[in-house]
Amino acid sequence: MKENYDFKIDKIKDLSQEEINLRKKNLELFYQAGFPNKKDEDWKFSDLNSIISNNFNKIVNDDFLPTKTEFKNIEEFEHNYISLLNGKLISKDFSYEEKNKILIDNYNHKNELSLDSKNPLYFLNNALATGGYSLEILKNYKLKKPLVIYNNFSNSLKEKIVNYKNSIILNENSELNLINYINNSSKENFMVNTIEKIKIKKDSSLKNILVNNSKCNCYFYKYLNSDLEKNSTFENYLLPSGFKFNKLDIEINLNEENSNSSIFSALNLSNNEHQEIKTRINHNTPNCNSYQKVKNVLNDQSKGVYQGKIFVKNIAQKTDAYQLSKAIILNDAAEFDAKPELEIYADDVKCSHGSTSGSIDLDSIHYLKSRGISEKEAFQMLINGFLSETLEKLSEGKLKNFLIEKLKRQINGY
Amino acid sequence: MKTEDLKNIKDYKYGFTTDVENIRSPKGLSEETIKFISKIKNEPKWMLEWRLKAFNRLKVLKEPNWQKPKYPKINYQDLYYYSAPKSASEKPKSLDEIDPKILETYKKLGIPLDEQKRLNGIAVDAVFDSVSVATTFKDELTKKGIIFCSISEAIQKHPDLVKKYLGSVIPISDHYFATLNSAVFTDGSFVYIPPNTKCPMELSTYFRINASETGQFERTLIIADKGSYVSYLEGCTAPMRDENQLHAANVELVALDDAEIKYSTVQNWYPGDEKGVGGIYNFVTKRGACRGKNSKISWTQVETGSAITWKYPSCILQGDNSIGEFYSIAITNNFQKADTGTKMIHLGKNTKSKIISKGISAGNADNMYRGLVEIKNKAINSRNYTQCDSLLMGNKCGAHTIPYIKNNNATSTIEHEATTTKINEDQLYYCNQRGLDQEEAVSLIVNGFCKEVLQQLPMEFAVEAQKLVAISLEGSVG
Repeated sequence: MKENYDFKIDKIKDLSQEEINLRKKNLELFYQAGFPNKKDEDWKFSDLNSIISNNFNKIVNDDFLPTKTEFKNIEEFEHNYISLLNGKLISKDFSYEEKNKILIDNYNHKNELSLDSKNPLYFLNNALATGGYSLEILKNYKLKKPLVIYNNFSNSLKEKIVNYKNSIILNENSELNLINYINNSSKENFMVNTIEKIKIKKDSSLKNILVNNSKCNCYFYKYLNSDLEKNSTFENYLLPSGFKFNKLDIEINLNEENSNSSIFSALNLSNNEHQEIKTRINHNTPNCNSYQKVKNVLNDQSKGVYQGKIFVKNIAQKTDAYQLSKAIILNDAAEFDAKPELEIYADDVKCSHGSTSGSIDLDSIHYLKSRGISEKEAFQMLINGFLSETLEKLSEGKLKNFLIEKLKRQINGY
Repeated sequence: MKTEDLKNIKDYKYGFTTDVENIRSPKGLSEETIKFISKIKNEPKWMLEWRLKAFNRLKVLKEPNWQKPKYPKINYQDLYYYSAPKSASEKPKSLDEIDPKILETYKKLGIPLDEQKRLNGIAVDAVFDSVSVATTFKDELTKKGIIFCSISEAIQKHPDLVKKYLGSVIPISDHYFATLNSAVFTDGSFVYIPPNTKCPMELSTYFRINASETGQFERTLIIADKGSYVSYLEGCTAPMRDENQLHAANVELVALDDAEIKYSTVQNWYPGDEKGVGGIYNFVTKRGACRGKNSKISWTQVETGSAITWKYPSCILQGDNSIGEFYSIAITNNFQKADTGTKMIHLGKNTKSKIISKGISAGNADNMYRGLVEIKNKAINSRNYTQCDSLLMGNKCGAHTIPYIKNNNATSTIEHEATTTKINEDQLYYCNQRGLDQEEAVSLIVNGFCKEVLQQLPMEFAVEAQKLVAISLEGSVG
């Protein structure tokens, strides 16, 4: 079989011998498993190994040097920012905020190379990760303006893989609106493998927004693990349309009472794009809520996947968990696969899920056409209405308008 | 139902054993065992070859381990693969010749073998351990051209039909337990309904595992030719024993153009005691093929027994406009485990499927719905509706739902919904207030919860199923 990757630890500079050994162990574990394929239950609908084989000759890793490159920043609303280039922190600006309330630094990889996982991409990240950031918001501080993380990728990434890790900690009674903004000037194929750990402490609240700015030939994987303490809130709004391949693997642990989490995702796929949203919500304690709404529109030969799991531990009484996946399929060559799972061990709970997939309502199209709207526009209007519902829970303002505009561009073309 | 009645049947009422002399095959799984089975059944050469082919395939297959209910490793060399009541080896011609003890067993089971039960209008083929003992109402069926006999008899008398259809829905290389069954199956029922015939009565089989250390491997093949209709009932019981017994059956249904098959099961194998000792491992492969246009296959199951139930009655909707249905109630109590559901594979145009699954979990039990709905690219204008509801009683049990949903074209619609709740306390309170005790109230509410499925059962079965629902949940509410 053709070996479609070649990874070397010695390409990464300034490592202690101990770290090299640990990374080598991780790389060995990855090499034993290879890229996950459909035999792996978690990758049943997204055979990454064959996707990689079909689109890459040979992926290699590199140690990316932080260089100053100009990228266009968001002008629609005032914000703080952190700028990353190929995973490495290059600049930051917190001019709207009080000093010493926000700690930001390069991610320290030495402490985070555990061998405890079943996920080959986790090992790969451990072995090759460079860059990434760790962000901490101090107690009782609520950020005045949103924080944008510019994830920039340069044109020099052909057939390369970028691995990095982020860590976000919100201390007690703090608040943050975070926007992960993917900015990409490369037309070449490359892969990104990110691991992000989020801790939301007592009475804190985090909004986590993901926006992809352009169509790109990028193969993106992100594993996000979050722990929630008492009375905390974690909201996710995902607009990742545009990637060639993307899998967002989100795990939320509701560890203390009265914590809330939600995931809203809107995806418009075309050509042969392939995206998967995989979630696992662990209700480990009583009185927590979780809400998921995942919407997909599929054109051409695209493929959309939703794998969601709600796990309710036997002590987690009074859980309210909801899961909804809806898909519109516009082309016979497109495919939508779903596996909405419930695993429940407590009896006094309210858990439900629904999943539908079908065609667009042709009566509505006809209605719009009879009012003088072109067919193309009619489709766009209906799709826009269908997808933008996921943003409804956001409070009105410049940020919401910005996201609605971005979604429109993702639907109507760039 | 009255409380006294409930008390009488509180303990597993089918837990008796019958003293009948048995003929057994050599212990263990080997070529000899298979040859022994084939020889004692006086099978033609092609059948033995078919079995051996399956056995060879079995050697390379691995026992699956992805299912949620785990079980201790089965020692396949420690089982008897053939066990027959001795008196059956000289084939009885009429009911008089059947060992009275067997008849008594069936009387206890309430199977209408006696002629006086004719009024019930059910033709029964009873399988005792592994051998089909008697088939009633043969004459009446023969007049219509309907073939209803044991599969062993069919192999002798209708080899063309058996050759054509056996293994055509569940191929011998399908999966471990299906292949095992293909190699060692001992008996089962065979039904053929000729074109444009409506079977005048409900056909029924009753399975019973009597001897210890035996596995039961029966094979059922039902063929509904063009424009025909048949309703088939299957019931199962087993005596109480503290070892686990294996039941690995294969059921194949074939519906040709405009034909309809309705297959109902009430499964009440011994579930093990309150501590989870003993009980049947019910690993069954059931699959129906809607081969013809406008054909329909409907599965209805009430699963209350077995230590572990692991089965997915499925429909392959090949013919255009064909319909597949699956109605299921799965009740687990104590340490029972159920991993059950269905597969609906849409291949033809305008195909429809409907899945209604009700899971009830009490005690320390685990109840899982696992299903696949797949609409292939060419199955345009197809439709599926799935509803799976779970009811939990107490926080030591689990209810799980794992649906796999694949939609591969733009004109088809799939809808899936699932809920998990407990019994509504207001409803319980209301019943209590009207003078029903806690258990009667639970039984009433659960029966209401399952109504959609119970409605699908033929009359005689529906009554039995309702009682079973009540009995299975005895002692689950504190």
